[in-house]
Amino acid sequence: MRTEAQESWLAWSQRLGGGYQDFHAFDLSAPTRVLEWIGDKGVFIAGYESLKKNEILHLMLPPRLSVKENQGLFPERDFKVSHGGFSDRAILELKHVPDTRLLVTSGLPGCYLRLWHITEDSDVIKAVSTISVQEKAGDLWPRLAVFSMVPRVLHGVQLSSLQVVDLESWKTTYSSGVTDSEELSNLQVLDGDTFAFCCTSGRLGLVDTRQPWAPLENPSPSPGSGGQRWCAEVKDRGQGPGPCFSSLCTDGQLCLLDARDLFHPVSSVQCPVTTPSPDPELLRVTWAPGLDNCLAVSGFDGTVQVYDVTSWEGMGSQVKPLFTHRGHIFLDESKGDTAPLVTTHTWHPCKPRTLLSSASDASLHVWDWVDPRPSC
Amino acid sequence: MPEIRVTPLGAGQDVGRSCILVSIAGKNVMLDCGMHMGFNDDRRFPDFSYITQNGRLTDFLDCVIISHFHLDHCGALPYFSEMVGYDGPIYMTHPTQAICPILLEDYRKIAVDKKGEANFFTSQMIKDCMKKVVAVHLHQTVQVDDELEIKAYYAGHVLGAAMFQIKVGSESVVYTGDYNMTPDRHLGAAWIDKCRPNLLITESTYATTIRDSKRCRERDFLKKVHETVERGGKVLIPVFALGRAQELCILLETFWERMNLKVPIYFSTGLTEKANHYYKLFITWTNQKIRKTFVQRNMFEFKHIKAFDRAFADNPGPMVVFATPGMLHAGQSLQIFRKWAGNEKNMVIMPGYCVQGTVGHKILSGQRKLEMEGRQVLEVKMQVEYMSFSAHADAKGIMQLVGQAEPESVLLVHGEAKKMGFLRQKIEQELRVSCYMPANGETVTLPTSPSIPVGISLGLLKREMAQGLLPEAKKPRLLHGTLIMKDSNFRLVSSEQALKELGLAEHQLRFTCRVHLQDTRKEQEMALRVYSHLKSTLKDHCVQHLPDGSVTVESILIQAAAHSEDPGAKVLLVSWTYQDEELGSFLTALLKKGLPQTP
Repeated sequence: MRTEAQESWLAWSQRLGGGYQDFHAFDLSAPTRVLEWIGDKGVFIAGYESLKKNEILHLMLPPRLSVKENQGLFPERDFKVSHGGFSDRAILELKHVPDTRLLVTSGLPGCYLRLWHITEDSDVIKAVSTISVQEKAGDLWPRLAVFSMVPRVLHGVQLSSLQVVDLESWKTTYSSGVTDSEELSNLQVLDGDTFAFCCTSGRLGLVDTRQPWAPLENPSPSPGSGGQRWCAEVKDRGQGPGPCFSSLCTDGQLCLLDARDLFHPVSSVQCPVTTPSPDPELLRVTWAPGLDNCLAVSGFDGTVQVYDVTSWEGMGSQVKPLFTHRGHIFLDESKGDTAPLVTTHTWHPCKPRTLLSSASDASLHVWDWVDPRPSC
Repeated sequence: MPEIRVTPLGAGQDVGRSCILVSIAGKNVMLDCGMHMGFNDDRRFPDFSYITQNGRLTDFLDCVIISHFHLDHCGALPYFSEMVGYDGPIYMTHPTQAICPILLEDYRKIAVDKKGEANFFTSQMIKDCMKKVVAVHLHQTVQVDDELEIKAYYAGHVLGAAMFQIKVGSESVVYTGDYNMTPDRHLGAAWIDKCRPNLLITESTYATTIRDSKRCRERDFLKKVHETVERGGKVLIPVFALGRAQELCILLETFWERMNLKVPIYFSTGLTEKANHYYKLFITWTNQKIRKTFVQRNMFEFKHIKAFDRAFADNPGPMVVFATPGMLHAGQSLQIFRKWAGNEKNMVIMPGYCVQGTVGHKILSGQRKLEMEGRQVLEVKMQVEYMSFSAHADAKGIMQLVGQAEPESVLLVHGEAKKMGFLRQKIEQELRVSCYMPANGETVTLPTSPSIPVGISLGLLKREMAQGLLPEAKKPRLLHGTLIMKDSNFRLVSSEQALKELGLAEHQLRFTCRVHLQDTRKEQEMALRVYSHLKSTLKDHCVQHLPDGSVTVESILIQAAAHSEDPGAKVLLVSWTYQDEELGSFLTALLKKGLPQTP
């Protein structure tokens, strides 16, 4: 009487001891490509469908997850929709401006930024203004990053269109001023004056906005077979020693670089992933904020892989993940359609081994993995 | 009045105490009659004085409908019917009728025996109240009277829970009660047809939640049970006889089988008998899977689950026990709890809400020292867990149900106004229906445009058709006739037929107007001049000069006469029937302008 799916679920959930400390699975009404924290108790998600109205939702994490002891007495295991808004366009980037009630989004169609306000006396997120940032760039949209001190947003589709815009006056406070049309894949603000960029070609750089354009950067890696695409993330300053740049390629290559010498990667490894990745834009690599030298990788398939990079050295070695989250595959209810792809993931800001991941089947998982290594 | 009025007396932005009053086409229906579990005084009952200040409830209300057996939907029923006073019919499904009195009696015992409350309904009142119940089947149209009919739909949620459609003529309201759109191990999902009611009333408590998947909850449950028995502890699961117990049993049996566990699982015999009895009665209310299981074997013939004997509670070693009642307020579950509470290796898993005053409620609130009978203090060292498997519809589920029924408007109860702005927008935009969210005591009035069927007489119809112009399907066509209303019948007939049927004579109205003109000529000459003038001016009309000197325009008569006082003036008498009003007025105005000078 049990279906095959139930059998595999049971098999998977048998790993109760040696797998997850905690695991919660949710079904959203539409898949999301963004997971943006607000504090440590809420996240924003947004729809990316092209032909219908999309929703932006501010979700409060199940209270259960914020409680350390006596979890059993807290029945609340559900996400609560705290605020919601509507967008007539697909949302592909969403950033919350810290310490404000503002959100900035970008997406398709069009090349624009939209500012949203989370109203106080109701649960509605209202669009405040929309500005077009450049001529339509085909299927490309501006990448975003926000500065906190003075609310400013860094955005750009290509290196040439990189700008910093003040959110109150909408005045441009910084421009790259270059004509280079290399496409961007990531932008990351590091502090009040510095940001990092990563191009789809693999070119990385650190920029100081107090000076005219003169980034610390590496050259683009030699162009490999067509279709390769890179993304990257920089460790937060306080996150321990070791290389701070990690860059990931659609062919499964993962490079670690030190900011002092972006020309020579500290190490590069080959991750055991399915290549070529079915949707290069979904690639994501993130550093764990609460653990030394751990990072997570997703976007190749329906899994999220966690790696410990401490002992990595040399070039081209094969590595194994410390932990692989397969929940999106095992809980997939679509019965035969293409397997779900993880669209994005993020680490919990405070709980060291907790992650959130979302997939193309509109699932959203919150999971806390157990370190399989024996503690010394 | 073509309108529907809804007033939540409880629910309506207040969780607990569902009680909604609906007025539809002159009929008054009360939906649910719940108890607020958080209060100990009169605040726990809905405010029935809203219904009618004077006059008896029985006269005012056409019926009461109860959606399911949870106390926040039926807890105030005996109070309402026996202490406030209502003798009309109370409709509910068969399982609800069977289970309601058990829960009400349980609750009564806790309130009166445990908490010593006075002025509470008695056991006899519960019995008397249940005598007024009329049980209904799913999808059965029940005529409450010759105008009001109701129909129950499957709601999932708990055994016997139903959504109700209330219909008077072409106006209808659907009330969902609590429902669930995802099937679970022992209940199916709610379902309704495209009945297109004027209004759908739905609960929205969980509209702003996104529920953790059932499989994760189950996984957690299994993990807790497994960890406890692995370390040699005992697990107590207090359950109500029906519903979740079966589901959890099936879950544990499957898990035990897979993991090849040998730890004994027991359920108390009282539980078996009652559960079996009810399941046999209401097997059609469970989902496909249970029915298949039931056919293959008895519900409780599990390989790993055995009947419990009270002596087993003292056996050493790990075990899992399902025992009633669910809130640990009396009976076997409380007995076992007392034996096992002192050992920290043990665990109690509470599977649902516990009423204030029960041991279950106390330990879930964190109390670790309990005062038992005879002033004995019980120290609770065992682990306390809460595992809710109850199923309500979340935002996705609500949108699904609204999409199924296709109502014109939606009314949300049970939610907080401030927190519902987004859902309201969502419903209004995505489903293109208006969305209302009244507070307790606030009345929402919905205008409706009911269609009234009118029979048209063949003669009238033929006459209209004879005028040419085939009727177009979508364009309204203007008809002239007389509407006769007799009993509840409407007929449209021609005026002549109406007069004949009613034995009335037709009246003729005739108007006469005097137009004064300065003219010294004789009347006959005047009339001739009038004739010539009108003949040349009114080329489209039939103007005649009659032998007696009067002029006619169509059926209007104009006569010239001498002015009684002024020899230099003449009076034209213009006379017409009511039907020729327009032409008559026109002529009069024309003549007042005077006659043209003869050349």
